[in-house]
Amino acid sequence: MSGVRRWLARLTEWLRSGAVGQDADSEIQAHIDLAADDYVRRGLDPAAARAAARRDFGGVDRAREAVRDARGFRPLDHLGRDVRYAIRLLAKTPGFTAAAVLTLALGIGVNTAIFSLVDGVMLRLPPYPNADRLVALWESSPGKGPEAARTRTSVAPANLADYVARSSSFDAVTMFANTLMSLTGAGTPERLLTVQVSRTYLDVLGVPPALGRGFADSDFVAGQDNVVIVTHAFWQRRLGGDTAATERTIDLDGRPTHVIGVMPPAFVALGEAEAADPPSLIVPLVLPADMLTGRGEHIASAAARLKRGVSVEAARAELTAVSEGLAREIPQIGEMRAEIAPLGADQARDVRTLVLTLWAAVGLVLLVACVNVAALFLVRSISRQREVAVRFALGATRGRVAGELIVQSLVLAGLGGGAGLALAFWVMRTLVRLAPATIPHLDRVTLDTRVLFFTIALSAITGVVFGLLPAWQVRRAQPVDTLRANDRAVVGGWAARSRSVLVVVEIALSMMLLVGAALMVRSLIALNRVDLGFEPEGVLAANIGLPPATKPPARLAFFEALADRVSAMPGVRGVAFGNRLPLRGNWGSGFLIEPAGGDDGVKGLLAGFQAVSPGYFATFGMSLKHGRALAVTDRTSTEGVAVVNEQFARSFLNGGDPLGRVIRRGPEMPAIRVVGVVSDIRRGGRAAAIEPQVYLPAAQLQLYPLPLSEFAVRADGDPRPLAQAISAAVWSIDPKLPLTNTRTLAETLALRQAERNFQTFLFLLFAVLALALALVGLYGVVAYVVGQRTHEIGLRMALGASPGRILAWVMRQAAWLMFSGAAIGVAATFAVSQYVRSLLFQITPADPAAYAMAIAVLIAAASTAAFIAARRATRVDPLEALR
Amino acid sequence: MPTEDVQQGTLALMVMTTLEAMGPMHGYGLARRIEQTSGDALKLNQGTLYPALVRLEQQGWIRAKWGASDNNRKAKYYSLTPRGARRLQAESARWSRISALMARFLSPAGGRS
Repeated sequence: MSGVRRWLARLTEWLRSGAVGQDADSEIQAHIDLAADDYVRRGLDPAAARAAARRDFGGVDRAREAVRDARGFRPLDHLGRDVRYAIRLLAKTPGFTAAAVLTLALGIGVNTAIFSLVDGVMLRLPPYPNADRLVALWESSPGKGPEAARTRTSVAPANLADYVARSSSFDAVTMFANTLMSLTGAGTPERLLTVQVSRTYLDVLGVPPALGRGFADSDFVAGQDNVVIVTHAFWQRRLGGDTAATERTIDLDGRPTHVIGVMPPAFVALGEAEAADPPSLIVPLVLPADMLTGRGEHIASAAARLKRGVSVEAARAELTAVSEGLAREIPQIGEMRAEIAPLGADQARDVRTLVLTLWAAVGLVLLVACVNVAALFLVRSISRQREVAVRFALGATRGRVAGELIVQSLVLAGLGGGAGLALAFWVMRTLVRLAPATIPHLDRVTLDTRVLFFTIALSAITGVVFGLLPAWQVRRAQPVDTLRANDRAVVGGWAARSRSVLVVVEIALSMMLLVGAALMVRSLIALNRVDLGFEPEGVLAANIGLPPATKPPARLAFFEALADRVSAMPGVRGVAFGNRLPLRGNWGSGFLIEPAGGDDGVKGLLAGFQAVSPGYFATFGMSLKHGRALAVTDRTSTEGVAVVNEQFARSFLNGGDPLGRVIRRGPEMPAIRVVGVVSDIRRGGRAAAIEPQVYLPAAQLQLYPLPLSEFAVRADGDPRPLAQAISAAVWSIDPKLPLTNTRTLAETLALRQAERNFQTFLFLLFAVLALALALVGLYGVVAYVVGQRTHEIGLRMALGASPGRILAWVMRQAAWLMFSGAAIGVAATFAVSQYVRSLLFQITPADPAAYAMAIAVLIAAASTAAFIAARRATRVDPLEALR
Repeated sequence: MPTEDVQQGTLALMVMTTLEAMGPMHGYGLARRIEQTSGDALKLNQGTLYPALVRLEQQGWIRAKWGASDNNRKAKYYSLTPRGARRLQAESARWSRISALMARFLSPAGGRS
């Protein structure tokens, strides 16, 4: 009880500690005055009286300390004093402080930003209630080759129904597929990303509409399926936020469709992963009977909600057994098996390696930063070792000295953390802005405070450990030895060795990042060297959303009319249309080659099939190799013809001549005679393979009526200004048609390569950061060595050593650090580089040129840093040094 | 107060006894008085008095007030609180018991052997 009372009294006193301290001081002063008065009265002169009074009192300072001890909280007092002391000390050494704070800020800032990205993109759960119970479901078959990964495909609805019926792990399962729908009627016509879903979609996600109703069984009856649930954003933008919206209809693909529900604002519609933006509309997925029963109709993505308490592992084990059992009963299923994975992880699977590699890379940067801080603290506390020894000799406790060092580390970590926070914020915003749109969930990226504190704590611990090591060292040694020692010799040896080890570690870590960056750069160079086979510059393309029900002749008539109008515009060099354009998709079909001359023909082939306009080859800059190109005269009334690419002959005819060969898409299908061969192109961009292609005249509708939807124009200069005129031309034919994906091929190409540019940029950035930190470390060590050996250098110079020899002698020591660091780094990189294989293009993880590049950069940069530091050695004045 | 050693406890008891006998006193007066009472057998390191005073004040057993001394110096005067008086009674009773007990141990004549 009295303990509590005293504690409370101390607390109040501590809170007004200034007044109490003064109070004690004046009380002690009064005591001495009174005592002196007494002595004067007893006959001493005033000076002697004061001396006697003081002697009686004992140590004034000690008494004052003791009173303070009794009054306040000593540790807290010390903390305040230590913090002030630390700040004074840091202000006295601005170089050290700036280096440490900058290093810490870089490590903390960049690491926090990247982890926030990883967390937002990969780790955070999708924005649905109890999202940890959501899984993606798909089917896969064995890949080609002995060690190939399984080939993933969408689920076949017939199989999915059986999986669900035979499993007990799922609360609900849903199928969904992305599609584009044209919104017409009031306002600008628009193509909107739409997700077609089975009835249970909203049940699986666990989010009901905010307005109106969810899907009912009756919405999935053909003819009654013209209903749509819209997202909040769409409702705001296109329906004016009308609360009576559920009584309205909108025209989707030319069909009046009832708006039955509006989703809440926070809801994000789950679509297939490849689209960057979430869908705006949700419509029923109504499948024809053959698709519902066919075991090979892999048409939709699927997601499921696990029952409460069922783990993903348990559900996977059950599903695997169910899938095996089903495959035994139904032979058509063959090797196809069902798989599941947590929904969030599955959505991010394509960027997994990229994001994890970035994370590892930035972890290395943090490590280098920590090592650098360690080295900085080491040097600093070495220089304070004498001071520490003096204080021990004067009776300071180990605890006090250690406490001071810890407080200094913490103050620095705090400063570094503050700067790091600002940096993290900026880096994160910049990353999100620069990141390619192909990385999902970028909108979810927010600064992660857990990581921020983790990295600050890590840096603080590093500082504390390396700040304390020298205190430890002094403790082991006799303070007297340290004091007596010329601190160049005894103290330096141990510290210089530790510091050299730290620098070797730094160089090794930077080496790893440099090799990583070099591999990425080499990949990028290799990629940009790849010839596309066509000329993307100067071409503008757009998708024109004719209603799906538009018959092929009407489509052809529309595009021919449009081509006529656009060709007549000034500055237009050529126009093309087709079902798909280069860089903008592909279309495949099975076919056979009929026997001819000496060979028996080939059956069961697969190639790309494109319906193209006569101007297609010229517009894209493809060249005719043999025979003739497609012409305006190839119509329904004339013989069915096709032009194939060079790869066609290589893939299917062993390089034989395709001219004159007849192909059919099936035994009963129309005959198509090959009349020409055009150059190969990489339709999918530089990283894509060249595929065999068959180009059919768009006007020969009898061959293969592929729905025409893409339009392109080649301009004399920049084609972008033509966009307006093309829209106007489209709307002059039909004002209800939406244009989407209107962009130049060069832009599309840039978008394709954005991810690779981004990863290369980040790797380069990290490598440069790490290298810069390591160079600071190396410079420090060499400068330190020179400083320590000034005496010796002076002596050597006095004995006739030339500046060149002195320089060589210092550089040899630096070279030793440099080469051991580089060697360790190369070995370590070699061991882990396999993991980045999937991020590289045409470059193996062991690419000698990349290693050579990295080593050359490292050696050049490190030699420069060492040289600058070493040059000081040659400026040593022998007379000065020896004095 | 488990952390206080016998010395501090003894000094506190001396301070409180003196204050009970003499009424309000300043620190220097207390120090002189304790030295005199001990017949100068106890040469107090006067500075050590102050932490003890602080502790007693924090316990609420004494209170302090600034005032003027006889020769017109400003000084802090300490006096015993009612709580302190009760505490002193209990402590002096305990002290008497302990010293009697110790006396019996230290003089073999008093022991039962």
